[in-house]
Amino acid sequence: MTSITANPLLVNRRKVVLFVLDHIIEVFLIVLILGLAIGVEGFSTWGNWMNILRSNSLKGVIALGMTMVIIGGMIDLSIGSTVALAGVIVARSCRDLTALGMDINLACVIGITLAFLAAIVIGWVHGVSHHKMGMPAFIVTLVTLNALYGLAGIICEGYPIANQFPTWFNQLGMGRVGGQNGIPIPAIVLAVSFLVVLFIMGYTTTGRSIYAVGGNPESARLSGINVGKTKIICFIAVQIFAVISGFMNSGQVMAGSFSFGRGWEVDVISAVVIGGTSMSGGIGTVWGTLIGILFMGVITNGMTLLDFNLYIQYVVRGIIMFSAVLISSYRAKVKA
Amino acid sequence: MGDLLIRTEHITKDYPGTRALDDISLSFDSGRVHALVGKNGSGKSTLVKIFAGAIQPTLGEFYLNDEKLHFESTSDAYNKGIVTVYQEMSLVPGLSVAENIFLGRLPKKNNAIDWRKTYQMAGKLLEKMKVDINPHEKMYRLSMWQWQVVEITKALSFNPKVILLDEPSSALAQHEVQSLFEAVRALRDQGVIVIYITHKLQELPQIADTVTVLRDGKWVGTVRMDEAEHKDIISMMFGSVKAKDRPKDIQVRDDVIMEVKELSRAGWYEDVSFELHRGEVLGIAGMLGSGRTELLRGIFGADPVDRGVVTVEGKPYRKADPIKMKKAGVGLTPENRQKEGLILIHSIRDNLCYASMNLTSDLWVENKRKRIAFANKQVEELEIKIPKIAAPCSSLSGGNQQKVVVGNWLNTSPKIMLYDEPSRGIDVNAKQQIFEIMWAQARKGVSTIFVSTELEELLEVCHRILIMRHGRIVGEVNPDDININELYEICMRGDEAE
Repeated sequence: MTSITANPLLVNRRKVVLFVLDHIIEVFLIVLILGLAIGVEGFSTWGNWMNILRSNSLKGVIALGMTMVIIGGMIDLSIGSTVALAGVIVARSCRDLTALGMDINLACVIGITLAFLAAIVIGWVHGVSHHKMGMPAFIVTLVTLNALYGLAGIICEGYPIANQFPTWFNQLGMGRVGGQNGIPIPAIVLAVSFLVVLFIMGYTTTGRSIYAVGGNPESARLSGINVGKTKIICFIAVQIFAVISGFMNSGQVMAGSFSFGRGWEVDVISAVVIGGTSMSGGIGTVWGTLIGILFMGVITNGMTLLDFNLYIQYVVRGIIMFSAVLISSYRAKVKA
Repeated sequence: MGDLLIRTEHITKDYPGTRALDDISLSFDSGRVHALVGKNGSGKSTLVKIFAGAIQPTLGEFYLNDEKLHFESTSDAYNKGIVTVYQEMSLVPGLSVAENIFLGRLPKKNNAIDWRKTYQMAGKLLEKMKVDINPHEKMYRLSMWQWQVVEITKALSFNPKVILLDEPSSALAQHEVQSLFEAVRALRDQGVIVIYITHKLQELPQIADTVTVLRDGKWVGTVRMDEAEHKDIISMMFGSVKAKDRPKDIQVRDDVIMEVKELSRAGWYEDVSFELHRGEVLGIAGMLGSGRTELLRGIFGADPVDRGVVTVEGKPYRKADPIKMKKAGVGLTPENRQKEGLILIHSIRDNLCYASMNLTSDLWVENKRKRIAFANKQVEELEIKIPKIAAPCSSLSGGNQQKVVVGNWLNTSPKIMLYDEPSRGIDVNAKQQIFEIMWAQARKGVSTIFVSTELEELLEVCHRILIMRHGRIVGEVNPDDININELYEICMRGDEAE
């Protein structure tokens, strides 16, 4: 008797637990925002919110691309160096081509084109060495992380190249739509990127192939899905987002330097994992990553407003990353 | 004969809905190799699990030298000296042979591992097994039969009274089997009760002293190998064959839809040529290791081929891959449905639509409504029993998982379907339903190649059966002109000579 009456309750409890685990990050985010809004002066102002968006959109854009890579069952550690590379390529183009008498706008467009080409080549090399030659994505991109860092250093000859960009390029990073207190352009880029990735992952055959390849590459292959092409698309996508982010970053500081983007991969991957994407591939949502980005941004902003020093902030972010992975592993166990 | 004896009395094991073992009373003594044979589902693995302590019998008892045995767990069986060596290897490739043998119980001196003693003890055991394997060698350098022997040596290191070998030769090449047999004979001479589970009858004359046959959970008989004839054992295994009920209305058309010509892959299959007609169900019969699975994968382009050409509807394919073959209208349900056929963490709906992705989308953009319709259609037509269509595939039973794999391909409206062991590990009902699906497709003009270990299935389902042996097609039979025993004979003929 008891077992019969207890069963539906058990099922319901499991459902509730699963629901909470699936949406735990949204719950945390809301609690966090409410807490900060009540407890910290200056948090819930328009200006502060725009500030949060401006400072997190750069990594956020890359995190969207990284979501594709991680759902596809891979990883790309090299994106920080690509951010630097994009900046120095454009800065060098602007400086050297105008010195030859070229129009600054044209020089900048050439630089931007070169940077996008670089993204495609890097992504392609990652994809081919991973898929065709069977190298682990972790190792391939760890190698290029350092190699591209060096390449950026070579291009800028070891020094930041400052004040070379046309104004419109700087506006990519600094500009706002709607006046002094308007919406930052990087936030708009983030929103557009979000919609693009959401569309790809949710509504195209490419997106469904990425989920399939991440879920079980052998089954995907035997279902006649082009696994190699799918993986290369993911690697190129994240590199393109890193280049776009690099433009905005360089525009913001009005310079290109090899030291930009150092260590960004940790924050980017954190945002993706906090958003519920599984590191073993096949599972994850673009929406989750957006929440992950906001979560990281709000936490950092709150700690800055509360005058936490930089080192404490690192520790706190580490703990959050740890908890996110813990929750995701626990969720996988409960579901199994 | 020997001084050890393990015996069962009236052992019965019930599972919900089926009786896996029915009143089994038998005994095995030491100093002899006792073969335990039976086709799939005969109950031999259930009996092994009972001896190994993995499950308990519903009724009945078993004894080792008059001591009544009762096992709560596998470690109880170990403690009583009953060791089972399974097909799945439990060895670590990166460690040495000696380390693998004593894994978890390496001899120690002053809290440090006593390597000299480890290698010495391992060397002694390997010597007892009469094999020339260096205990220092790393496992990954060894061949398959040596792995199997190390596995057996590891079992021997527990000083067992009974060793159960579960299909030890299934993964071995022909010449390796002899080396394994020598090790098994050495084991027998140690005074251990050796129970050798197999379904390869051709091995019996060489290795077995007695043969015990189970069928449908019942004990059919035990014979001394030197007194038994091959065909006696076969008829004990299969009994009287039930009538075939292949529908007669399926018409094989005259036109050839696929032609395989001189397809070869070194070490697997050689110069395979045959034709497949429209609407035909073609079976490929062969023992394990005959190259059937590899051939099917080669035709589909899942693995590379060295030579040869596959022509589908007049178009030749030399270097095929699954993408090209899908376009040509060919589908494959792989042997291992969980690892190669499904994405277990994804929903049933998604799994039903992966192969047909290009059909459920307008250009590049997915049409969700079409996808849902595609998935629902297969759930309905194949009678897939699902909790809900968004549930992960891992939540389904084996039979229903197999139907999802089939449905995934039927959604591509294939012209040719390749089935690799579609009935493995699924219940009788689901099996019959899979055959019904094949016939239904054949009526629509879809051609089928069907590979199975279960020869009676081939007889029941196919229009024509090709016999494969050692990577070659050695014959062709009409299932109406042959019975199971004869087919079995043909499939294994010649194995002993080579």
